[in-house]
Amino acid sequence: MGIRQRLAWVFGILAVAVAGLIIAVILSVRGTGDGWRDLLAVYGGMAALAAVAAVAIGWFMVDRLLAGPMTSLARSLRMALRANPDHRYDPEEAGNLGELSAAASDVLDALARHGTALDSQIEVATNAMKTEKARLESVLRDLHEGVIICNLNHRVLLYNHRALELLGSGGELGLGRSLFDFTNRQPFFHALERLTTRLLDGRSQERGLTVPIIAATADGGTTFEGKMTLLLDEDGNPASYLVTLDDRTDELAELGRRDALLRDATDGIRRPLASLSSAAEILAEVSDLETGDRRIFEQVVADESRNLCARIEELSSEFQEIIASHWPMTDVYSANVLNTVVRRLREEKGIEGVMTGMPHWFHGDSYTLVETMHHLIHNIHDSTDADSFDIEAVPAGDYVHIDISWSGHAVSGTTLDGWLDDRLDDALGGITVRGVLERHRTDLWNLPASNGRARIRLPLPTGRSPEEAGGEALPNRPEFYDFDLIAHDADLGELGAQPLKSLTYVVFDTETTGLKPSEGDEIISIAGVRVVNGRILTGESFSRLVNPNREIPKASIRFHGITDEMVTDQPGALTVLPEFHDYVKGAVLVAHNAAFDMRFLKLKEPSLGLVFNNPVLDTLLLSAVLHNHTSKHTLDDIAERLGVGIEPEARHTALGDSLVTASVFLHLIELLEADGITTLDEAVKVANTAVHVRKLQEQF
Amino acid sequence: MAHRILIAESDTGMQACLRFLMEREGHVVEVVGDGEAALAAMTARPPDLTLLAVDLGKRDGYDLCQTCRNAPDLTAMKVVMVTARTRTVDRDKGLALGADDYIAKPFSNADLVERVTALLAGGPDR
Repeated sequence: MGIRQRLAWVFGILAVAVAGLIIAVILSVRGTGDGWRDLLAVYGGMAALAAVAAVAIGWFMVDRLLAGPMTSLARSLRMALRANPDHRYDPEEAGNLGELSAAASDVLDALARHGTALDSQIEVATNAMKTEKARLESVLRDLHEGVIICNLNHRVLLYNHRALELLGSGGELGLGRSLFDFTNRQPFFHALERLTTRLLDGRSQERGLTVPIIAATADGGTTFEGKMTLLLDEDGNPASYLVTLDDRTDELAELGRRDALLRDATDGIRRPLASLSSAAEILAEVSDLETGDRRIFEQVVADESRNLCARIEELSSEFQEIIASHWPMTDVYSANVLNTVVRRLREEKGIEGVMTGMPHWFHGDSYTLVETMHHLIHNIHDSTDADSFDIEAVPAGDYVHIDISWSGHAVSGTTLDGWLDDRLDDALGGITVRGVLERHRTDLWNLPASNGRARIRLPLPTGRSPEEAGGEALPNRPEFYDFDLIAHDADLGELGAQPLKSLTYVVFDTETTGLKPSEGDEIISIAGVRVVNGRILTGESFSRLVNPNREIPKASIRFHGITDEMVTDQPGALTVLPEFHDYVKGAVLVAHNAAFDMRFLKLKEPSLGLVFNNPVLDTLLLSAVLHNHTSKHTLDDIAERLGVGIEPEARHTALGDSLVTASVFLHLIELLEADGITTLDEAVKVANTAVHVRKLQEQF
Repeated sequence: MAHRILIAESDTGMQACLRFLMEREGHVVEVVGDGEAALAAMTARPPDLTLLAVDLGKRDGYDLCQTCRNAPDLTAMKVVMVTARTRTVDRDKGLALGADDYIAKPFSNADLVERVTALLAGGPDR
């Protein structure tokens, strides 16, 4: 019911009520015969009529001057909002609503202005988006590379025309379809795994989130080279990945021919050349040659010269067909490759792989190398029943040797050679092990057994770590002189009499906010690596960031690279140190300048309710004992003296320094044994004498 | 002092040169042209030293080297690989598989003779 109807009802009832009241009074006094009473009835009747008329006039006025204009104001506001933004209430009609109608007009005007502004903004933004979209489309269309974006389930979210051309042979490339309807899987899994690992390890900042990738169509007919980039959501979690692909089938085939040609050129020429030069030398230098012999060598010279000429002709005509390019290879960190091999062996075959020793950089294609090592170890497992393997990267000049060893009998050279012709599953259209080796310009062979372990060696060209190009050397942590902390009378017990080589060690290192734990400096990172039976078990390392619950001094960041942001979400020392305590249980602790690290641990003991009472050995002190001819005992000095290669990337992180120290420590054990120091007791004893010597030195 | 030398080499020109150089030093020389023949000759008449090429027919030099290093009768025999494979890995492989020396082709006659003589005189391995 509208306002006007309601008013009409109210006034109608009012009129009836007033009139009724007056009539009721008249009736109650009527019929008495008194003249004045009849008169009263007549006036009363007139009064009732007048009252009804007054109510009627009141209703008319209210309806006409207020309710009517209100209804029409409401109607015109609705019209302005819904139909015609320019419609306004007629001010003539609005007179009786006064301010209200003026305010309504203002509101409508303001609304109209905002609406127009919003419309034009939307239009501008839409146009900009259209332009951007057109630009992106044309860029994608004109790109020589195929571009594909997939979600983490490998469903295609976006692709360009070139991608369609490249992958078209596998059927219609379409949104939402699986990428693996068109390509082989392993290279993508592998690249994605590398990228996610890099992200989780926090190495994405310095190394970026892009890796090269070599893949093939599902039918193996076409080989691609490209890059995979991990795309993150707002929270920094992996959301999807972008792959750019380029057809390399022809280039790779051509490069293969070129490599074969170069091999022919060197080897094929050397052979005739060898005979030629040798025969020529005989002819030139031996004066008393018998005629018969002379005749033979002259014939050799003539024949081999002819051979050489023919060979050179052949080579140069073949060479002209070949274009110059490169094998797509990158510098790879051995730890990443070996970890992948170890994980795959465990998951797929239940074979135990143990990565030992220091990681190093080599140059190669990580995917085909993973496939190769996986295949080799699997074959060894099948032919020898060995189910536990050590894999170590050992630097040797221009090469890094990947040495694989196992307990049991060796594989014969003939068997090993036979495996070279095995095709690798699902890799690059069925490349063979030999193909991978030739691509890396290398070979593989048996090494003599050592400690009852059979070994094979796969050398790979040395690579460069990203930091190797530059980077200033950091000053060393000052040597810590509070030696009492490690020369404490730890209860060596049964361990004391054990040979050094048989003990289990945890070689560890800490990074701290500063050098003074008693003045509030705290641990921000702690790492350790286990050394068992002379092997560094790289795979069983401990590495944690620790929230120091205080600000990290800016000046210290260049030593450890750890910032406040990196530790805010990390657990504090009260969580991490008990874990470390568990990790080192039963092991001898080893550190370089161990007093420094032990002091930080010792100061935390009361609040942890734990005691670090493991025996402690200090590589600094052991070096001081063994190399008392020099005062240079920083970790870098010792490593250089012992020929331990240091990857610049590894230094000055707790785990990196632990690995270097572990490597140094193994060398020091050898040297100690050569000096007749073979047990833990003896090692601790000589370290104590070094403490006294250094204390004396300190007094001068 | 005369020694027995086996030359395992498939290239006839090279055979002639090596034979001459060794005979001129007064050694007794036997020449074979492939891997199988080389193994047969070693087993039948163990030489003091073998000049071994890698690219032999039938069995290659690396294989042969590894095989004869595992043969108890041939522990005293010296093996010198003489080959056109000259990458560092090839050399490392030859030495790892038990060769006493590794000579890349082409070589200087004088150098080859000197290294063979040194080995036969019981000089330092490798």
